[in-house]
Amino acid sequence: MTTNEEFLVFPGCMIGNRLPYLEKSARLVFEKLGLKPKESSFSCCPDPIGIQGSDHTTWLSLGARNLSLAEAENKNIVSLCNGCTQTLTVVNHELKHSEQKRNKINKILKEVGKEFKGTIDVSHFLTYLLHEVGVDAIKKKVVKPLTGLKVACHTGCHYMRPTEIMGVEENHESPQNLRKVVTATGATVVDWDEEHLCCGYAIERADPDVSYARLKGKLDSAIKGGADIIVAICPTCFSHMDNNQRNLTKKYETEYKTPVLYLTEILALAMGFSSDEIGLKNHRSKGDLKERFGGE
Amino acid sequence: MPFFPEYEIKKQVMDLHMGDKVHYCYQCGRCDDVCPVTKLVGADRYSPRSLVMLGLLGLTHVLLVDTPKNQFALWGCQTCDLCDEICPNDIVLTDIFNILKNASIKQQLAPEAYQQQAKMVMETGYSVPLQDAIARRRDKMELPELPKADLTEIQKILKITNFDKKIGYEAPKEEN
Repeated sequence: MTTNEEFLVFPGCMIGNRLPYLEKSARLVFEKLGLKPKESSFSCCPDPIGIQGSDHTTWLSLGARNLSLAEAENKNIVSLCNGCTQTLTVVNHELKHSEQKRNKINKILKEVGKEFKGTIDVSHFLTYLLHEVGVDAIKKKVVKPLTGLKVACHTGCHYMRPTEIMGVEENHESPQNLRKVVTATGATVVDWDEEHLCCGYAIERADPDVSYARLKGKLDSAIKGGADIIVAICPTCFSHMDNNQRNLTKKYETEYKTPVLYLTEILALAMGFSSDEIGLKNHRSKGDLKERFGGE
Repeated sequence: MPFFPEYEIKKQVMDLHMGDKVHYCYQCGRCDDVCPVTKLVGADRYSPRSLVMLGLLGLTHVLLVDTPKNQFALWGCQTCDLCDEICPNDIVLTDIFNILKNASIKQQLAPEAYQQQAKMVMETGYSVPLQDAIARRRDKMELPELPKADLTEIQKILKITNFDKKIGYEAPKEEN
């Protein structure tokens, strides 16, 4: 039986290999909450958009290999990325529920001395925070409540959909989990029409113009809702929203500069870590981050 | 235009784990209604409803033709799964789209960036590999090195799944 006291953290390649400052904030938050996650030699999850779209069998095989590493240690996986969470959850589900697929993939894994057994669970860190840590325990660690900060919560598609498989007990059109955690920081959550919609990243490779039009919809909706900042729980959504506001500014001749914070960044700030400690200066869409949180 | 169904793709769609649900698509168009991409570009350019029909009938030749229009007609899918949630017949549309996308990759008709990503996974084990500049930033932030994936093992798996052939990968030439 697996226990949630000790889990394997799955940071995903976006956080570890492109956005290390997000990992920094995550590690500080883990420590503050007394969590001691272990690491493992995971590969790419692999990406539920690109690699699942390229070859389903390969996607299942590499996903199952990652799961088998956690099974060997008898630990659940907690991921910091929506994409990784969705891939690992769906692969786990598909292989647990189809003997035919399981046999097919295990025949492949056998060649590298591995086997998928279906003995562990996968969740996103947001879910872990709610169910294993609890909002009250988070509140207890808040020393700099973010009173007055108006936050648009962007949960992101792959955290909650397909709902039947992701099983996060969310109404996917009105997600509440992130709102609960953000509220614990003392910030105020705003209502916005496009909260449940895609950030637009996934079609950037097919047509950047449509992708930016999608992002514009999100930002306009968040601004209309009165948000000072957007909080995301997925490094890819974060990166898309943080990086491309300058493109929107050029394309639409309107200034877009809403800061985007990743889940563990807003938690770290509320828990008293400084802007410099978590490398907030690395953000692209800075807006008034410096005025609000200080730092370089 | 010739009217030959692609039976292999049709079979894959029919064999999806949804069982016989997939037969009950009556083209109501709820998927098009909720799709944020269709809303932006119009159903002429991207329509989940059309994709389901083409997949079901195996009429993918109209889709798998190398024109920018056809490329977006398929890869305009964000895999946001909103259509899966709304479908009154519980059809998991995104699974059908993935079958079509896999076929598109095999015929080298996908946007270039997808092939690049697949190559990256073949060569490094990651979609986004660690670069020197990021490694230095990690050091500066006093982040420990992350455990590396076993590339030999991953490449062995990819060899068995024929991933290289599927994505049209040519290995860098080795000197003997």
